[in-house]
Amino acid sequence: MRIYEVFLKRPGRDEFRHAGSIEAADDELALVLARENYARRAEGDRLWLVDRDNLVVGDGEFVAPNADKPHRHNDGSRVAERRQRLREENA
Amino acid sequence: MRRRWTDLSDFEAFLDKGGIVEADDDMPDAYRQEVFRFIEMHANSELMGGLTERDWIPRTPGLRHKMAVLAKTQDEIGHGHLLYMVAADLGVKTRAEMLEDLFAGKSRFHNVFHYRAVTWGDQIAIAFLVDAAALATQQAVFKNCSYGPYRRILKRIITEEGFHMRFGEERVLRVAEGTEFQRAMFQDSLDRWWWPAMQLFGPDSKPDDVLMRWHIKSERNEVLRDRWVQKFVPLLHGYGFTIPDPDLAWDEEAGRWSIGEIDWEPLKRTLRQGGPDSARRIGEAAANWSETRWVREALDRVAEQREAA
Ligand SMILES: [Fe+2]
Ligand SMILES: [Fe+2]
Repeated sequence: MRIYEVFLKRPGRDEFRHAGSIEAADDELALVLARENYARRAEGDRLWLVDRDNLVVGDGEFVAPNADKPHRHNDGSRVAERRQRLREENA
Repeated sequence: MRRRWTDLSDFEAFLDKGGIVEADDDMPDAYRQEVFRFIEMHANSELMGGLTERDWIPRTPGLRHKMAVLAKTQDEIGHGHLLYMVAADLGVKTRAEMLEDLFAGKSRFHNVFHYRAVTWGDQIAIAFLVDAAALATQQAVFKNCSYGPYRRILKRIITEEGFHMRFGEERVLRVAEGTEFQRAMFQDSLDRWWWPAMQLFGPDSKPDDVLMRWHIKSERNEVLRDRWVQKFVPLLHGYGFTIPDPDLAWDEEAGRWSIGEIDWEPLKRTLRQGGPDSARRIGEAAANWSETRWVREALDRVAEQREAA
């Protein structure tokens, strides 16, 4: 038996989302089980199943360091401040 | 590198800040055991509830409700399925071990599934009172649960429990507006299911409840029970039914209903598998499990062939 991670996509513009996991003997049965467990009320119209052994995982330590790089963002506050000042001066 | 914490207080500080624990984290063993026990009991309850529901598919009156009971059976078995996956990922027991323990009478499941649903009125009481009580406890876990995989799967479960509860509400309405016979049938069920539903929330939470401290539950048992009472007493009175609690009283000053003392002996008996219907239910589930061994063996052969290919 294998464990599959189940990704479900709602119809329309949404991205695939992780829904959960299931255990099955082969790919065909895994698809049936995934549909019956995660899409009984048409919660999606596409399924991706990934054998858990084939997942490539990046953990927090590897992925998260980029939380400390404010120079990669710009919230527009400097320009907004100037606009606000001009509005107040002209009021 | 798995996430780890230097000690329990470091871990608790992480939880207090709203930290979410994932399956591959190196969580403290006490937390792992507690989360596992909680999810295992939830999974068992879904499965045992699903089996009761299944018994009612042929006996449910009316095609629409029969189909709804069929759907509810699929939901409950599905909930069990998803929860066993989440529980197994904690590495305490495999799914097969959990099922075998359950069928050997070694595991716990909700008190209400230790009673027999004899009439259609009982099924209505279960859907109306019990699904609502279970839903309230699940919502209180979902709100702030520190174990990520459980919280995510609860979202789906809660949505589906909502359908069950609304079918229950509709059926209560139907019998309330029905014949004298139907009203008497539901009153009789209410008389038998009221207290088990109240006990489902569990005894008042202890001040040092680890489930609260570790942000698994976010509300105390007595708070959830009281909210449920405040909602269901007026609903049932509104339909003209009486509640089997002689001490039930309206507290004018507080503006709320107060209930009589709860006898915890029946709950304790169900925890020891000594409820009125425990033996039959566990026995039937165990018989199903052994009768379907050939399916599991066939699936194992499919898996072996796949590995060999
Ligand atoms: Fe359920
Ligand atoms: Fe349910």
